[in-house]
Amino acid sequence: MYVPLFTSTYDDAYAMIGLVDANNFYVSCERIFQPHLESKAVGVMSNNDGCVIARSAEMKALDIPMGTPAFKLETLRQRGEIHLLSSNYELYGDMSGRLAQLLRDACPDIAPYSIDEMFIYLDGLSDRQCQTLGESLRRRIHRGLGLPVCIGLATTHTLAKLANHAAKKQPQYQGVCLLNGQDALTASLLAQTPVSEVWGVGKRLAERLAIGGIHTAWDLHESDIKQLRKRFSVVLARTALELRGTPCLHMNALDQPRQRIMTSRSFGQSTGVKAEVHDALRRHAQRSAEKLRQQHSLTRAVMLFLNTNRHRRDQPQYFPQALIPLPSPSDDTRVILDAVRQGLEQIYRPRYRFMKAGVMLLDLVDAEQHQLSLLNAPAHHHPLLMATVDDINQRMGQGTIRFGMTDNDAPWQLRCAHRSNRYTTRWDELMKAGTHPGAIAACTSRT
Amino acid sequence: MTSQLPVAPALPLTSQPLPFPPLHGRAGFSGFPSPAQDYEPRTLDLNVRLIKNPSQTFYLSATGDSMEGWGIFDGDLLVVDRSISPRLGHILVAMLDEEVLIKRYALHHGIPHLCSAHPGYPPLPLEDADCQVWGVVRAVIHEYLR
Ligand SMILES: [Mg+2]
Repeated sequence: MYVPLFTSTYDDAYAMIGLVDANNFYVSCERIFQPHLESKAVGVMSNNDGCVIARSAEMKALDIPMGTPAFKLETLRQRGEIHLLSSNYELYGDMSGRLAQLLRDACPDIAPYSIDEMFIYLDGLSDRQCQTLGESLRRRIHRGLGLPVCIGLATTHTLAKLANHAAKKQPQYQGVCLLNGQDALTASLLAQTPVSEVWGVGKRLAERLAIGGIHTAWDLHESDIKQLRKRFSVVLARTALELRGTPCLHMNALDQPRQRIMTSRSFGQSTGVKAEVHDALRRHAQRSAEKLRQQHSLTRAVMLFLNTNRHRRDQPQYFPQALIPLPSPSDDTRVILDAVRQGLEQIYRPRYRFMKAGVMLLDLVDAEQHQLSLLNAPAHHHPLLMATVDDINQRMGQGTIRFGMTDNDAPWQLRCAHRSNRYTTRWDELMKAGTHPGAIAACTSRT
Repeated sequence: MTSQLPVAPALPLTSQPLPFPPLHGRAGFSGFPSPAQDYEPRTLDLNVRLIKNPSQTFYLSATGDSMEGWGIFDGDLLVVDRSISPRLGHILVAMLDEEVLIKRYALHHGIPHLCSAHPGYPPLPLEDADCQVWGVVRAVIHEYLR
C-alpha cells in the first residue's frame, strides 16, 4: 500500500529502532561511585535554586515530588532518612558520553535524544535476535558502566517509546520490551495506554480526541488515517501510522517539551570549519530557546554534541558532547548562546569533518513555578523582586516577607555543598579503593 | 567579553580520541598503501596501551598498604576496566559491606576467595561474602616522581 504521508528520512533505512533510557540517571550516576547509596532514598538538587531535579525510586516512594525545595526536606535529611546531593553535571555529562560510546560501538547507528536517552538503529536481525541483543546490551551497560537501563524495541520511534515505557513499568519484561506493531502484545499494550501518553499527543489534543471517541493508543491505531488527517493534523495521522508499525516520523518530531528540548540536524555537507559548526549550533540554540519561551519554561543546563560521519570509514571519527550547567535557570538566548560557545571551545578539534550537530536544553523548570520558588531563596540577580520585598518590609516592618531559609547564608552554601566528587573528570577527585577494610577511613582521619 | 558561566573541562581522554588525528589520517582505511607510510611520524600513546575499552574504563586511587605484596602502593593509580569478566588471578575492585576494596581473585584451598597480600587480612570466601565486583584492575601506575 502506498502511504502518501510517508517521509523518507535517514533513520528509516533501519528495520528496528530501540530506545535506551537510563533509570533515574543522575541518581544512578552517583551510586556507581558511592555504592553505599544503593537502595537508599536519594535526591539530586539543582545547584542554585535548590529544588529536587532527580529522585531515586525510594525517594519517589516517599511521595517527595520533583521540584520540592531543599529546605522543606532538611528535617528528613538530618534524620538520615534521605540523602540530598548537589547536581554534579560534569559527572552526568561524562557518563552520558560513555553510554553513547558503548552503544555506538555495539550498534550500526545511534542518535542521542537526551542526556540519558539514546535511540539505536538495528538492521538485518530478526525480532528474536533484536530481543537478544537488547538483553545483552542491557547487561553490558549495567556491568560496564554500572547504569541500570530499560530498552524498548519496535519498528517505529513512537512504538519504541511505548515499548520503553512498558519495559520500565512492567516487571515481567525484565527491562527489555519489543513490540512489532502487529502481534497481540502490541494490541494489548496499546489498549492499556491512554492516548495522552503517546508521543506527540499533548493533554489538549487528548481531550479533543476523547470527544471523538479516541481514548487509548489502540483507538488511535484503529482510526481512519484520512479522517485523522482531515479532522486533526498530518502529524497525528503519522503518529497513528507509527502505532501500526509504519515508520514516518523523524526523531526530532517527537518532542517531550516539558522535560527537555532538542534541536539537531545534519549538515548539508560535512564540515570541519569551526565557524560553520558554530553557526549551525547557534541556529539550533536559537530555535531551542524560542521553543523554551513558547512553553514558558527555563533551562538549567545546555548540552551540545557533534558527530562525524561514521559511515565514512576512511575519515577519522569523533563524537564529542559537552554539558554546560547554567548559573541559574534561564530562557535568555544570550545565556544559551554563551553556553554553546563555551561547549564548542571544549570539544572542537580541527581536522575532523562533522556531519551533524545538536543542542539540547535539559532539566527544564516552569518559569512561573520558578518565580514562586525564588520567594523562598535570596536572588540577588532579581533586583526587581528584591526591591519589592524591601519595599514591603520597609512599609510593613522588617520580617514581613522573609526568605524560606532561616539562615540567610544557607542557600548559597547549599549550591554545591553536597556535590559528590567529579570522579571521572578530575585527577584529584578519583574514587578511592581500600587495600583492606577500614583503609579509607584511616586515611581520611589522618588528613 | 566576560562570562559568568563556570568553565567545565573537556571530557577526559578515556572517552575521546587523541586531540588531533594524524595528519594523513586513514583510520580503518585499506586502500593503496602509501610508500611513505612507514616513515610517518608516530606517537606512542599510553591510552592505547593501557585502555582497551575507553567507555568502560575508570581511574581509581589505591588507599592503604596491605596490597604492597602485589605491587599496589598507597596512592597508586588503578586503571579499572569494567568490561572484563573476572577470572582467577585478576586483581579486582569489589564492594564488600559497603566498602570498595582491592582484592586478588584466587583459589584458597581449592575454593575461589578474595585475597589480600597481607597476613592480617585472611582470604574471604566468595560464596559467603556479600560481595559485588566493581571492575577488574588492568594496570597499576606507580609514579616515583610527582
Ligand atoms: Mg531516564
